[in-house]
Amino acid sequence: MRRLVLIILFGAALLAALPYFASDVMMQFAINALLMAVLAQSWNIIGGFTGYMSFGNSVFHGLGVYGTAIAMAQFHMGFGVGLVLGVILALLCALVIGLPVLRLRGPYFAIATLGLSAAMGALVSNLDIAGANIGLALPLIRNDFMFYELSLALLVACTLSVAWISASRFGAGLVAIREDEQAAAAMGVNATRFKVIAWMLSAFFTALAGGLYAYWISFIDPASAFDPTLNVRMVIMAVFGGPGTVLGPLVGSFALSAVYELLSNWLSTAAALFFGLIVVLCVIFTPRGLADVIVGVRQSGLNYLMRNIRDNRL
Amino acid sequence: MLLPQILLNGVLTGGLYGLMAFGMALVWGVLKILNLAHGSLIMLGGYMVYYLFTLFGLDPFAALPIAALFMFVFGYLLQRFLINLIVRATMLSTLLIAFGIDVIITYLAQLFFSADFRTINPAYSGANFSVLGLTVPVVGLAAFIIAVILAAAIWFVLNHTPLGRAIRATAQNLTAARLYGIAPVRIYAMTFGIGAALAGVAGGLFGLTTHLTPYIGAELTAKSFVIAIIGGLTNPFNVIFGGIAVGIAEQLGSFYLGATYSDVISFGLLVLVLVLRPVRSLRATLP
Amino acid sequence: MRVFRMIAGAIGAFSVLLSPAIADDGVIKLGASVQLTGAKANTGRYYRNAYALTIDKINDMGGIKVGDKRYRLELVVLDNQSDVNLSVRQYVRLITSDKVDFLLGPYTSNFALTDSSVAEKYQVPMVQGGGAAAEIFSRGYRYIFGTFAPAGDYFVSTIDMLGQLTPKVETVSLISADDSFDLSVAEGTRKHLKQAGIAIVLDEQFRDEHGEFSSILSKIKAAHSDAILVACHEPDALNFIRKAKSLGVDPGYFQSFTVGVPTADFRHALGDDANYTFGMTAWLPSSVLKDRWFGNAAQFAESYKAKYGYEPDYHAASAAVDVETFVYAIEKAGSLNREAVRDAIAQSDFDSLYAHIAFSKTGQIILPQIVVQIQDGELKPIYTDKFLNWPHYPIPPWNDR
Repeated sequence: MRRLVLIILFGAALLAALPYFASDVMMQFAINALLMAVLAQSWNIIGGFTGYMSFGNSVFHGLGVYGTAIAMAQFHMGFGVGLVLGVILALLCALVIGLPVLRLRGPYFAIATLGLSAAMGALVSNLDIAGANIGLALPLIRNDFMFYELSLALLVACTLSVAWISASRFGAGLVAIREDEQAAAAMGVNATRFKVIAWMLSAFFTALAGGLYAYWISFIDPASAFDPTLNVRMVIMAVFGGPGTVLGPLVGSFALSAVYELLSNWLSTAAALFFGLIVVLCVIFTPRGLADVIVGVRQSGLNYLMRNIRDNRL
Repeated sequence: MLLPQILLNGVLTGGLYGLMAFGMALVWGVLKILNLAHGSLIMLGGYMVYYLFTLFGLDPFAALPIAALFMFVFGYLLQRFLINLIVRATMLSTLLIAFGIDVIITYLAQLFFSADFRTINPAYSGANFSVLGLTVPVVGLAAFIIAVILAAAIWFVLNHTPLGRAIRATAQNLTAARLYGIAPVRIYAMTFGIGAALAGVAGGLFGLTTHLTPYIGAELTAKSFVIAIIGGLTNPFNVIFGGIAVGIAEQLGSFYLGATYSDVISFGLLVLVLVLRPVRSLRATLP
Repeated sequence: MRVFRMIAGAIGAFSVLLSPAIADDGVIKLGASVQLTGAKANTGRYYRNAYALTIDKINDMGGIKVGDKRYRLELVVLDNQSDVNLSVRQYVRLITSDKVDFLLGPYTSNFALTDSSVAEKYQVPMVQGGGAAAEIFSRGYRYIFGTFAPAGDYFVSTIDMLGQLTPKVETVSLISADDSFDLSVAEGTRKHLKQAGIAIVLDEQFRDEHGEFSSILSKIKAAHSDAILVACHEPDALNFIRKAKSLGVDPGYFQSFTVGVPTADFRHALGDDANYTFGMTAWLPSSVLKDRWFGNAAQFAESYKAKYGYEPDYHAASAAVDVETFVYAIEKAGSLNREAVRDAIAQSDFDSLYAHIAFSKTGQIILPQIVVQIQDGELKPIYTDKFLNWPHYPIPPWNDR
């Protein structure tokens, strides 16, 4: 645990220096990658540790985005007020919706949350205070240094929380729920409370990332705020890196962000095709994430890849 | 006369909705895969009918079985040689591979079909007749009838043929099915193929009533999802009822609240059904 | 530990790859991120092609003279995959890494809204021919100019024409999608209808690009309006007409759509059902529109079709004139200084293949829409401020066609 925290802080210190030598484009990419990593890491709390495959995290992202945007664009309040508003909305939503929805198991939870995010996006596009389906323009600010450091700080806070979870009794409870919810309940874990708290934690960080994103991008609409593919990307990144680990989602999201950016720049229109191919190949050869690959390849070399196919094929 | 017409519209759209959801319900019920590429399979079926109609002058309804056959082969091969490699991994993995496949199909579709809007537009596509003051669109009615016939066919195949028994056995217990000499590798591929064929038929009918682009897949996947869940997976007729329920709810919703609310209604309904229905009745297995 | 070294390494390698290229003298770079793939690719291609064609043409004719130096134009186009977030990043990349001098725009108002904030942030002039929504220009931005007329005025010439036709249109159903462009259209149209003394008996919105029109059409049928005005993009216009026919909903005397009707794609997809449909275009390839580079609009259309194999529409013409606006302004300013060029753009005053270009205070041009109608499978211009061709009016019911 101590070693892990040191690694996180050391990495953060290195990354904090990036703005001093990175170009503007690099900064854009980095801010985006950091925010994506926050989203993947937040998803990891509910999806990776607790085993509840949430497609509702884009709801929290959207609420974070809209809390900030409504406060700043409609009421001319400060950025901080907006962030708080977004977080409150997201936490309330996680609590109120979490209680009934978290009773569902497996695919039914996934589908209910998917429906939830689609319904929320459609609902917001009907609200005049949220700019309906047109969207809201936030005040312009050109300060990528600030956005970068804030995003990094958020990622560090989120990752430290996950590190704490992984070593705490709370985390052990979540993992017990993931492995066998009934057994966990029999052992005295208050499953409902644990799940709702995990989801609210996830919502907390997701909403903050959404708020930062809104101010940074300066124009938001329901389609981009509640984008369901954003949620799919969180899942892919967390799963690609290794769900239920502390560093896996970070590695996964940085790696995939870089791959996607490079593909978009080099291949332009063919980027989507190669992204799809990479996802397919990764699922086939490394279904347990990069974290598992590192261990697996060290143990058994390239045989590891083939063994995955043997394990999972029919 | 307005309300009965709205209800009729809802029922007829609902038939097509149900047809779109068959394949997804079947693949999920048997293979336990949330097939995110389902909408893209519908899209492919639509384009196939479109090209059979425009290039070879084949009547779209005559082209439906051909498209279904092609889609069956495509689906069979896809499952047999790609998805089968991963099918015993967690649901996350199968979900992700379906997502990847969806991205690839969409991209290739744009490459080969272009992003232009296509419609399957035979002379009779807008035909309608009046009964008791209600306007009945011919193609919509035909789509509804085809959906009902296919539901009956699926029901018959599942319950009264050796293939159906093998599929049901595989869905319930993979190991036991093996012991009875069923080869799950082929049954899985068959099931996915049938799902793709049904998607193909739905796609052709979809192209007859609205328009096709390579990008319609995601929305159709979501819609099929909603209907498969609301209808339940135990009986193909229930999927049609699910479609009709969603169709009517959407039509009534856009009638009373405004058409911008249609998604709020169908997805809100989905969440409500999931939360309120006892989990037992939603078990993902066939009878 | 190792993981972080890997990340740091990857980031290092990445920043080297993206390090800025050095712009050589004698070249002026124009950058744009447009929809080459994804849901908007169908129209996005007009922008890429028109930008490229115009720039090639200008270079072939000797390029631009700034002071006593000659400059060649260079185009940098990125594909935003119809993803707004990606397009924002690509515009930043165009400015900071590709070091473009000026920005051309993307397609659709929603993209232009977001991307113009990048232009404003970096104070790089952007002339865009893809967004008409009021919000793009009402934010007090200095660096954004548009060559589409304000969305609210799209139906002005149509309403004007209706006043001169018999039987008189006294009631309309106004239907619009809920994106920024179409809501702007609807808002303006309500005002103009009121001034013309035409009553709105039905006013409905639907979700952009998700139009499922059964219930709206049933309401229209019950409302018995004399005309239907629809603000939407092409796919919804297609679906609207197909659904209307299959539900037997007749338009009354008249129906018109803001977008879609002028394109060849639209006529192709609908076949005979497209007949009688009214629409509008800001531009037709007429030889009356003289142009410094192409001669006139007809010649522009000809070379466009020869090169790309399909006919240009007003999107393409608007895109072409965006390039020409920069050329005009750069020559006028006599420098590449962004501030000087921006001021010169604001004072633009020239004729082109597209229209007379002169920007209002907010950065939009005034350009009346030409009412068009599809007659026997052909697109006919009908009305500007006078009749150009006789309209097929009133539109016959579906059963009598």
